[in-house]
Amino acid sequence: MTITVKEELIKRSPLRVLEKSISGGLGRGNIGVLASRKGVGKTACLVHIAADKLLQDQHVIHVSYASRVDHIVTWYEDIFKEIAKAPKMRAALDEFDELIRRRVIMNFKQDGAKTEQVLRSLEAMIVHGNFRAETVIVDGLDFAQAGPDDLRKFKDFAGRLGLEVWFSASLKGDEPLFDERGIPREIESLLGIIDCLISLQHHGDHVHFNLVQDHGRLAPKHLGLKLDPTTLLIAKESRPRTR
Amino acid sequence: MTTAIARMRNIGISAHIDSGKTTLTERVLFYCKKIHKIHEVKGKDGVGATMDSMDLERERGITIASATTAVEWADHSINIIDTPGHVDFTIEVERSLRVLDSAVLVLCSVGGVQSQTITVDRQLRRYNVPFIAFVNKADRIGANPAKVRDQIADKLGHKSVLMQIPIGLEGAFCGLVDLVAMKALYFDGPEGEIVRIEEIPGELAAEAARGREALLDAASLHSDELTEALLEGGASEELLRAAVRKGVLSRRLVPVFIGSAYRNKGIQPLLDAVVHYLPNPAEVENRAMDLDAGGAERVLEADPAAKTVALAFKLEDGPYGQLTYVRVYQGALRRGEDLVNTRSGQKIKVGRLVRMHADTMAEITEAGPGDIVALFGVECASGDTFCSPGLNLAMTSIYVPEPVISLAIDPVDKTAADRVAKALNRFTKEDPTFRTHVDPESNETIIQGMGELHLDVYIERMKREYRAEVRTGMPQVAYREAISQAVEFDYTHKKQTGGAGQYARVIGRLEPLAKGAFEFVNEVKGGRIPREFIPSCEKGFRAVLRKGPLIGFPVIGIRVVVADGNYHPVDSSDIAFQTAAQGAFRQVYMKAKPQILEPVMKVSVEGPSEFAGNIFATISQRRGIIISSVEDGSFSRVDAEVPLGEMFGYSNVLRSLTQGKAEFTMEFLKYGRVPTHVSEMLTEQHLETERKKSQR
Repeated sequence: MTITVKEELIKRSPLRVLEKSISGGLGRGNIGVLASRKGVGKTACLVHIAADKLLQDQHVIHVSYASRVDHIVTWYEDIFKEIAKAPKMRAALDEFDELIRRRVIMNFKQDGAKTEQVLRSLEAMIVHGNFRAETVIVDGLDFAQAGPDDLRKFKDFAGRLGLEVWFSASLKGDEPLFDERGIPREIESLLGIIDCLISLQHHGDHVHFNLVQDHGRLAPKHLGLKLDPTTLLIAKESRPRTR
Repeated sequence: MTTAIARMRNIGISAHIDSGKTTLTERVLFYCKKIHKIHEVKGKDGVGATMDSMDLERERGITIASATTAVEWADHSINIIDTPGHVDFTIEVERSLRVLDSAVLVLCSVGGVQSQTITVDRQLRRYNVPFIAFVNKADRIGANPAKVRDQIADKLGHKSVLMQIPIGLEGAFCGLVDLVAMKALYFDGPEGEIVRIEEIPGELAAEAARGREALLDAASLHSDELTEALLEGGASEELLRAAVRKGVLSRRLVPVFIGSAYRNKGIQPLLDAVVHYLPNPAEVENRAMDLDAGGAERVLEADPAAKTVALAFKLEDGPYGQLTYVRVYQGALRRGEDLVNTRSGQKIKVGRLVRMHADTMAEITEAGPGDIVALFGVECASGDTFCSPGLNLAMTSIYVPEPVISLAIDPVDKTAADRVAKALNRFTKEDPTFRTHVDPESNETIIQGMGELHLDVYIERMKREYRAEVRTGMPQVAYREAISQAVEFDYTHKKQTGGAGQYARVIGRLEPLAKGAFEFVNEVKGGRIPREFIPSCEKGFRAVLRKGPLIGFPVIGIRVVVADGNYHPVDSSDIAFQTAAQGAFRQVYMKAKPQILEPVMKVSVEGPSEFAGNIFATISQRRGIIISSVEDGSFSRVDAEVPLGEMFGYSNVLRSLTQGKAEFTMEFLKYGRVPTHVSEMLTEQHLETERKKSQR
């Protein structure tokens, strides 16, 4: 019974829409980036992506550069609570304790943490800690500081250990943040390393998802997804918009 | 409020292990002229710090039992309790916090907020204790008091502000800039006893101005007067102190002080801060439960003329006989007066009354509200309340966690056995988390406690203080059993063996209970089981739950519903219904899919980042779940949940893997289901012992 409810939950997830748009998912060894201005909802999206992986019995490492771990723990609790509110999905919450055992939070201080050190610790967790992660979430890496070299190291690492890695990128510059093709100007130079790039933008009172790059191909496209302002979950848009 | 109370402070010194709080206390005693020579923890002079009164503490360089001591500073009397830092002894910390009005939280300039700091902070919060912070070891390499202040804000969530800035750091640390007086302080003399006040050095002027600005910002939130004065051009030191004090008392501001106890720097300003910013006993609201009014809360008055209320918070068997540490909350303790122990109803007469200073004491005749003193020759347990006759109050019970580990001990000979009995009697009175009983089956003496180190310390103390040698068994985890699905029962107990027979029938169900150990629900209607036998049923179930059929450990998380039954006008009895209840339970227990639960500990390991991999590995090998790992520069902390049964000997493993550079703390978190292979092994073991027993 629980299993069918869970399968249903996975099947109906708006993240399936996202996967469809990026050729079936990000895929192992690849790097995905969610880019937006600060405070638009990247962390919520990353946690939703992680929660979805956890529901599928995958192992997730959540790398964060924030100062407090308990905030991240609360994010997960809240997101799972929201997911479980869907009809008949209460069972998912009962499993929360089980699911959460497949998630590890790794926190690094931004100023002190060199990418080499972060990757060394990640590898130690996966190899010595015997934590068989499939997905790594990297929230809060400062893309203004971390250049192409750092990102390439992450990509090599993802390839070597067969990981799917999702980043958030905070855009800080002046308007316009995006060029005419929808590419965030600040991280344009990293496009060659990023496999999938999605931007989050305010449209009126909603936050919409735009696909910028799909597995190396520039493929501007509206994803038909929005961020629900109350639940902070990724949700399907009721009326798909056209660009 | 009398001046006497206004000039009194009851403070605790709480910290992470190795933050140097014993060294700090030592300096405080020295500057308050309580001692004439400074000894170091693990001192080369072989004397040891004054506050560590037990030999064992001297040897291990840790403080186990909190000794209280009274000092005088700037016309104020300060009672200090030196509290232990290790999690295994948190009952001591918690008991101290209950009787203290405020605390000094000691942090290391290098380590900052560490796992134990977080635990202590949680305890301070639980008892609503206001505190100031002292960032110690500013002379150490890597010292960064500003970073520690940030951590107090980030990791503990307190609004905090630096009250001083250091003059030089690490090896160059030589003094402080006081941001209230805007003066530089240096500590001269062979033991830093002379405070020299100078102008702020020019190169620090800008930093000091910025620090002052931040201080004024933080303080003005707590005082409109200060805000106004600032708008009008300037605030007096008094006004600024009053504002900070208000923030501290409401627990909305944590002023941060800096120093190095070891280098004799920054202690006198800290003592001034205790006087300036921490509350006197009358400024803290204390409540007691009125036992005559169903436990209703009553606010106590810090009035020496009122009826007396005092709490016995610690017992100690010293060279002078039994000592009972008490804190007076209301009224006064006077030599020769009668008091009542409200738990036992026993009358006591106040005999010798003393004020303690680590190992020495001063005789007094009276102690007023807020005083912490010791009584001689009083029979009582820790946590008992003493009241004037006519009052029946109990200070709120101190939270005592259940023990999670047990150990069989076996005295080596007859003499040792007598001494062990004496030692155990004292230890259990002193420490409510340490328990002992004789196993009725094996006839072994079992001791129980909060962790391996906790029990180790008591075994050592038996040896040293009572010269009692014991052999110890393997540490045993306190497992539990629980059912995982509801099941119905219908059981008839019938016995006809001449004379009066026995008859009882109980019908109902067992259900898993998410929270709590046991619940009994009576749904019997129409007197199918006479009312007088309902308690018999409950008693029967309670008895059988003590030893679960699966592996012989208590069954928890169960609701028993008795819905129906039958009785016989002659043959039914209390004992018949008890037996029926037990029979019913045994009949259906296995059908309720029982599971074995084990204590899972919240483990926190800290050490240099280079060992993170090793630490991850040790957790994963122990069936542990890593919750998070936090890397802050070269320092790492790993938080995990690990079954207690896997943690035996962990300190040795960790030490050897990390060259002694990592340390860990743990505390009980929850009971968790054991994996199938462990469950099978435990069941097998249980069957084996049962088989052996029946063969005997």
